[in-house]
Formats: sequence, structure tokens, C-alpha cells
Amino acid sequence: MIELIFEQIINGIVAGSVYALVAAGMTMIFGVLRAINFAHGEYYMLGTFAAWYVMAKLGVSYPVSIVLGILITMALAYVIGRLVMQHLVTAPFQSGVLATLGLSLVLQNAIILAFGGTYKIFPGGWLNPVFLGDIALAWQRIIIVLVTIGAFLALDLVVRRTRLGKQIRAVSQNVEACAVNGIDVERVVLATFVLGSGLAALSGVLTGPINVSIYGGMGEAVTMKTFAVIVMGGMGNVRGTLLAGWLLGIAESFVAGFIGLQYRDAVGFVILIAMLMVRPHGLFSVKSRF
Amino acid sequence: MILQAVRRRLAIGTAIALSSLPLVAPLSAVAQDTVRIGVISPNTGAAARYGAFAWRGAQLARDEINAAGGIGGKKIELFQGDSQCNPTEGVSALQRMLSQDKVSYVLGDVCSSVTLALQPIVENAKVLLVNPASSNPQITYKAGVGGFQWSFRNYPTDEVRAGVVLKYAAQEKKIKKMAVLSVDSDYGRGAIALTKKYLAENGVEIVSEDYYKDKEADFRPILANVRRSGAGAIIMYGLADTTPIIARQMVETGLAGKVILIGSAEFNNPNAIAAAPTALEGAVEASAWVPEHDTARNKDFIAAYKKAYAGEEPNVHAYFFWETLKLIGATAKQANSDKQDDVRKALQSVTYDGIMGKVNFDDHNQANLPMILFELVGGKPAIKGTFSTKIIYPK
Repeated sequence: MIELIFEQIINGIVAGSVYALVAAGMTMIFGVLRAINFAHGEYYMLGTFAAWYVMAKLGVSYPVSIVLGILITMALAYVIGRLVMQHLVTAPFQSGVLATLGLSLVLQNAIILAFGGTYKIFPGGWLNPVFLGDIALAWQRIIIVLVTIGAFLALDLVVRRTRLGKQIRAVSQNVEACAVNGIDVERVVLATFVLGSGLAALSGVLTGPINVSIYGGMGEAVTMKTFAVIVMGGMGNVRGTLLAGWLLGIAESFVAGFIGLQYRDAVGFVILIAMLMVRPHGLFSVKSRF
Repeated sequence: MILQAVRRRLAIGTAIALSSLPLVAPLSAVAQDTVRIGVISPNTGAAARYGAFAWRGAQLARDEINAAGGIGGKKIELFQGDSQCNPTEGVSALQRMLSQDKVSYVLGDVCSSVTLALQPIVENAKVLLVNPASSNPQITYKAGVGGFQWSFRNYPTDEVRAGVVLKYAAQEKKIKKMAVLSVDSDYGRGAIALTKKYLAENGVEIVSEDYYKDKEADFRPILANVRRSGAGAIIMYGLADTTPIIARQMVETGLAGKVILIGSAEFNNPNAIAAAPTALEGAVEASAWVPEHDTARNKDFIAAYKKAYAGEEPNVHAYFFWETLKLIGATAKQANSDKQDDVRKALQSVTYDGIMGKVNFDDHNQANLPMILFELVGGKPAIKGTFSTKIIYPK
């Protein structure tokens, strides 16, 4: 029994790491734009598709495809950022909802038009199992957890120590004051958006081998899960996001393992509602954003 | 202020959209010089693989019938609707076909939940629905003398299949403890409800019961339980696109080679076998059609399909959408009419010589069709027998 609980915790941490990487970008974008990016899961999808494309069609190896997948997604995010996201700085919040929901539909259907609606098998990855006692775990899953921890350490450094990080924090505290002090708010928004999209793509490319199948609508489910994570972590709080992601992953694994798989997707929504009722500012902080 | 502005813009948008409608409608209501047939299947989402095959099968049949002179001189015209394997989407695709494409016949859907939702709508519209791919028994419980006059099904149901698969696993493979992992839909849950009827007579015990959502990708929490439960088989009535995911995670968690998959989720899909050969070895499935069915006419069909689609091997849905459109064509020819009401009446008494055998419809508008039981041996389906799927309807 103890071993089963331990195994479900491990399963939860792997699943939660994926959520946390996607949610980190979402929460930063919320910080600077005060807008929920409903299309955020699509960058997870785009990253996975880009990596699949360069591997399956151009014969690139998996490690290289990780880099290319992220770079292609960031390039697309740069264009979308210039065309759409920058305009949201001064727009009312409804525009943000509509624009990002619309983007989500456009990106999903563009991929379906380009590659068809059927599932594609994602090649590559390190799938040989490692044994922790009786529990077998693919290398890929261990890599996901380690890369996630590394990415969050790096992100923390960027946000706290670099000029860009300070600008991001400043913009998420007060847009007008930043503009008055000569911070280029639109540039900061663009940089945050491209960075966040890159993290989502990283998460997608790393998950590809263990989720096996990729398809146009795969980002939607991830977007839904990140809502619970960013609210639990505290909207705009990067450190809290990692712990919140793991918590959601573990809660899901316990519900799936001990109650039934059919209730798994309900976990995130129950947590979301409960959090909004009891602690809308998140589990970890009273008000700090980063 | 802002809301008002948005509302005003929406109102203008709606006005433009509405005013353009009358311009479009007369164009699609031109004189009916073709036989208009709708094909509803999942073209995106978790069952898109099925829909892609279904559409290619239907197109092949259309081309063959049109090349042979069409139906009474009229060519068949196909319209495609995407159900996403979701009843709401399926119904709106059907409504669009009825109002804009003016179809007289509908083939569809693959997913049982969608087909169940389409039935009352075709009944009201007096459009003939011939289902080529859904296996939930309820669909024809409610048709013919059961109620719906415009629904027919040219596909066997899960009624007998569930029992045959369970019996084979219990008696030939000597497995007495099994876990359930099926898709959370009318198809997946329906097939498991039927399986439970046969547990006692086969001495089988179900140790756990889980249903997955169609986009689920993480099965480790369930497989961890299965590994500890001592189950020798996983009963799976699922979606072909999920099979490779589960199979690969079975390899990862050390279940491959110890626990077999039984049921129906296209275990013979070459992509799934390539993704995790050890997990699918020994899998037992009952299917309405397999490429290995060894008759000359089946080989002709496969050859024609491969020629039309760059060497791709057809699957069960390609076959049944092809065969069902051919059935409609043959029945219309026999009835000497392309009117859906004449074809509907003719279908009740038709005897169609299909690849899987002679097709008759019973008083519930259900075709009597056999199923093929196979086991994957060395990555290839080995046919273990053919059985009748005759239904005893509940009184």
C-alpha cells in the first residue's frame, strides 16, 4: 500500500511538472497583461508539432528537435505577439478573452488544415525504464521532472536578477508607473509572451514521447488544467506555480488511482472552484506576484 | 460604454450575416439532379482516425457506383460532416446537412453516442439513416418495431461480441481475473455492461473498473493498480488512437507480456503494434471485418482501396462505409427509385450479397452480420473463428 501511494505520488509529480511548465508562462503573461491567455495550450501543441515535423519529415534527431521545436514556437509567438498580444496592453479585458479564444481556434484549425485531423505518432524520446524498487519509470519522465526544476530555477533567476525580470515585475505591479518611467511596456509584454510560449513548447516537446499521440486539439485540455494551477499558485506567482502544478498532478493521480480514472479531469475544476471561494489569491502568498 | 460598443458591433455583424443568408440558400437548393448523401463521422478529435477511413471508404463506393452509371442515371454526391465523436457536434453537422445540403440519406456516425443523438432527428426529417459503424445495442433496440422507422444499421452490435471475447479469454487463455479500462461513452460503458452478464458463467472476476475520457493520455495511475491486482487481462472497448498510448505505457510499467488486452480498440492497427509490439502480443479482439478475411471479393476490395489511396490498407470503418453505400446503391436499383422512402421500404426485405455474407434486416432494422475473433500472434491477427451476432431483443 505504501509503495502504491509512493508510485501515485511519482506519477503525480511527472504529470504536475508538465502542467507547471505550461502554467509558468500563463501566469507571467497574466502578470503583465492582466489577461488570461486562453490560447496558451496551443503553444504547447505547436511546440510538439514542430518537433514532430522536423523529426518525422526532415529526419532530425530528438535532442535537436527539442531545440528546434522551442525556437519555431518562439518565432511564431513573436509574430503573434506583435500582431495581437501587444495591442492588448491598452485594450479592455474583454478584448483579451476574445482575442486569445479566437487565436486558439485559428491555431488549432490551422494545424488540422495543414496536417489533417488524425492522431500522429510522436517518435523519439528515452523510453527505457529505470527501476525505483518495484516501480518502473521511463527515463523520459525523470528528464521531464529534472528539466522542469531546472527551468524554474532559471526562471526565478531571470525574474529576480535580470533587467528584463525587473521590468516584468514592474509592469505586473503598475503599468502606468512603468510607462511614466520610460519602460517600454509593449516590449516587455512581447518578451514575456515569447518566453512563456517557449516554456509551453518545452513542456510539449518533452511530453511528446510519453503521450505518444499528437493532434490539433491537444492543447485545449492542457489549458483547462493550467487554470487550476495558476489560481492555486497565485496569479502571477512563478514560484508558487511549480508547487501548485505538482499538487494538482498528485491529487489527480490519487483520484484516478483510488477512485476512478473517469473522475480525473474533475479534480482541477473542483480545486479551481474551491480556491476561488476560499483563497482567491492563491495558496502561497498574500499578495506578492513574483 | 465598452459593452455597449461591443454589443453594437455584434448587432451589426449579425445583421450582415443574416442579410447574406438568402443569397446563399437558393444556390444550394438547385434542382436535385444528383442523389445527395451525407457522411457524418469524427474527422477531428480522438476518433479522427476512424472518420478519415470512413470518408475514404464512402468516396471509393461513390466513385464505383457513379462509374457504373449512378443510381437510375443520377450521380451520387457526398457531403461531409464532422461529429468529433461528440453528440452535440454530430447533431449540428446533421442539421447543417438537412438545411443547407438537402441530403436524402445519411451514413453515420462511428461513435454510438453520436448515432443515438442522430436517430430522432432523421426520424422527424424523414431522411434515411443507415449506420455503418456503431455497435451499442440500444441503436436498434429503438428502431423498426422498437420505434424509429428511418434508422437502419449495417453493423453488428456488442451484444454477442462481449460474451464471445470474454469466453475466449477465460477458456483458451485461462484468465480469471480481469481489469476494465474502457472509453467513457455509450460504446465503452455499454460493452462493459454486456460483458458483466457473462462473468458468472465463465468464472471471471472483475478486479477494477475505469473509464477514460477520449483525450486522456496518462494511464499510469490505473496501470499501477492493475499491476498489483493480479489481473491477467484488461477488458478494453476503446478508441484506436488511444490504444498505442496505453500499450506504450504498459511496456513502461512492466505489464507488457504479463497482461493482455481483450475487447475492441483496433489492436491490429499497424501504428499501435509498431509503437508497442510486446504489449499488443496476444491481444484478443472481435471485429466486424479484418483485412485478413480470406475471400476473393475481400481481396478485390482491398486492392481497389489500395489503388485509390496510395497503397494504404483499409480498416474496418473504410470497409463498412464502402459496403453500406454499395448496399444503398443496390437497394435503390432494386427498388427502381432514388427516393429515400422507397429505399427504406425496400431495405426491410432486401437480401444483399455482401463480402461478409448475405445481409438481411430484421424487424428492428438490424442487419445480421458475423464477427471475426482474432488474436495477435507475432504482430499479425490470427483468425480464431467467426460467430453470428444474432440478437435476442428484450421483451
